[in-house]
Amino acid sequence: MVILFIVLGIVVVLALWIIGVYNNLVTLKKRVENAWSQIDVQLKRRHDLIPNLVNSVKGYMKFEQETLEKVMQARARAVSAQGVGDKIKAEQELGGVLGRLLAIVENYPDLKANTNVSQLMEELTSTENKISYARQFYNDSATKFNTKIEIFPNNIVVGFFGGKFEAFPLFEVTEGERETPKVDLSF
Amino acid sequence: MAFTVDFYEQGRKNVRKTIVLVVVFLVMMAAFGLIIDIIFGILPIFTLIFLVVALVQLLISLSSGKEIVLKSVRAREARQDDPEERQLKNIVDELSLAAGMAKPPDVYVVDDDTVINAFATGRKSEDSVICVTSGLLKQLDREETSGVIGHELSHIVNRDILIMTLISALLGAVVIIQLMAFRALITYVRFGAFGAATRSRRSSKKGDNSTLVILAFLAAVAGLGAAFSFIGRLSLLAVSRTREYFADARAVELTRNPVGLSRALRKIVTNSQKMKTANIATAHLFISDPLKRHINNKSSFFASLWSTHPPIAMRISILENRSLKEVESELASYL
Repeated sequence: MVILFIVLGIVVVLALWIIGVYNNLVTLKKRVENAWSQIDVQLKRRHDLIPNLVNSVKGYMKFEQETLEKVMQARARAVSAQGVGDKIKAEQELGGVLGRLLAIVENYPDLKANTNVSQLMEELTSTENKISYARQFYNDSATKFNTKIEIFPNNIVVGFFGGKFEAFPLFEVTEGERETPKVDLSF
Repeated sequence: MAFTVDFYEQGRKNVRKTIVLVVVFLVMMAAFGLIIDIIFGILPIFTLIFLVVALVQLLISLSSGKEIVLKSVRAREARQDDPEERQLKNIVDELSLAAGMAKPPDVYVVDDDTVINAFATGRKSEDSVICVTSGLLKQLDREETSGVIGHELSHIVNRDILIMTLISALLGAVVIIQLMAFRALITYVRFGAFGAATRSRRSSKKGDNSTLVILAFLAAVAGLGAAFSFIGRLSLLAVSRTREYFADARAVELTRNPVGLSRALRKIVTNSQKMKTANIATAHLFISDPLKRHINNKSSFFASLWSTHPPIAMRISILENRSLKEVESELASYL
C-alpha cells in the first residue's frame, strides 16, 4: 500500500514536471515566432518606403541615377523573392544598396533641408534599425529556445513530442553589423 | 564577463521583490502604530490610522502614480509633427522591438531646454511612459538618445518602474505621518499648552499632567516617524543606485553600443542644468540626478549611502572600460 502511494506520488510529480517544461517551451516558441513575424512587418515597411524616397530625391540627384536604379531593382527582387533562403539574400542586398543611398543623401545639403525628404530619411533609417533590432531579438530568443530544448533533462521531454520542438535557424551577423559589446560589472 | 540577462525572468523577480517590500512595509507601519498604542494604552487607534494611511498611499500610487509624476514635472505628450519628437518616438519604437515588447511605451516631453534628462514610469510595460526633456532632444544625437532610451526601456521591461513608484508612495506615507505629528506638536505647544495652562489655574492640577502626556505622545510619534523615514530612505536609495548600473548594462545589450550612452552621460555632466520641476520624491526616477546634488558625484562610502544615483564618472568608466581616475580627471577638465 505504502509503495503504491510512493509510486503514485512519483508519477504525479513527474507528470507535473513534464507539463511545466512543455508549457515553458511553448511560451518560448511563440515568442520566437512572434519575433520572426516582426521582421516581416518591418521588411514590408521598408518596401513601401523606398519608392517614396526614390521619387522625392530623383530630381535633386541627377548624378546618382545609377544608385537609384540599383535600389529600385534590388527592391523589386526582394519583393518577388520566394522561399526563406532567397528572401534573406535579396533583403541583404537591398539593405546594402539602401545604406549606400542613405549615405549619399547625407552629402546633399539641399536634400537634407527638404522637410519631405528628411522625414522620409528618418522613417527609412528607423525602419532599417527596426529590422536589425527585430533580427537581434529573434536571434536572442531563438538561441534561448535552441539551448532550452537541447539541455538535459529537457531534451527527454522534447523527445516525447516528436517534431513539435525543433531548433530555429539563426541570422548570421553580417559584416558591419555590431556584435554584442562586453560590459564588465565586476567592479 | 559578457552580460546577458533574461528580461522576462528579471521582471518576475522584481514583482516578487515588490510584493515582499510592500508586505514588510505594512508590517513595519503596523508595528510603529502598535508601539505608540501600547506605550499610551490606546490600542488599536494608531495601528489602524497608520495602516489606513499606508494602504491609501499604495492604492493611489498604483492607480494614478504615473499621472501624478507626469503632472508634477509638467510633461506633455510628444507631438507627431515635430521632427525631433517624431525621431524620439521612432527610437522608442525601435528599441521596444529590440526588447521584445508587445507595445512600445507612450512618449512624453518636458519643455525645458536647459536640462538633459529622462525617466520612465508606469505600473507595467503595457501602460508605461518614457519622458524626456526638450533639452535632451536638442542636444543629443540619434545614437546618444538611443542609449538613454535603452536605459529607460530596461527599467520598464525589468519592472523597475513598479518598485520605484511604490517606494516613493510608501515613503510619502511616512512623510505624511511625520508631518501630521510635527504639525500637531507645534500647534499644541503654541496654543494647546497655553490654553491648558490658563485652565489649570482655574481648575485642578490634572490638566498639567495630561498636557505632558500629550506632548510626550506627539514627540514620540514625530521621533519614530523621523527614525523610520531615515531607515526607509537608506534602503530606497540603495535599491535605486544598483538599478542604474544594471539598466546601463542592459541598455548596451539592447543597442549593442556602449558609446552612445556614455557620450550622453558626458553631455549630462557638462551641459545640463538643475531641473526646476523635479523634486526629492521624483528625483530617483531619472537617469541622472535632476537636482544635481553634489553627494551624487562622490564615491566615498558615506556619500554612497545617501546618494540616489551612482556617480556619473563611475558609470562612464564602466561603459568605456577605463579607470575611474582617468574619467574623473577628464570630466573635471570640462567644467
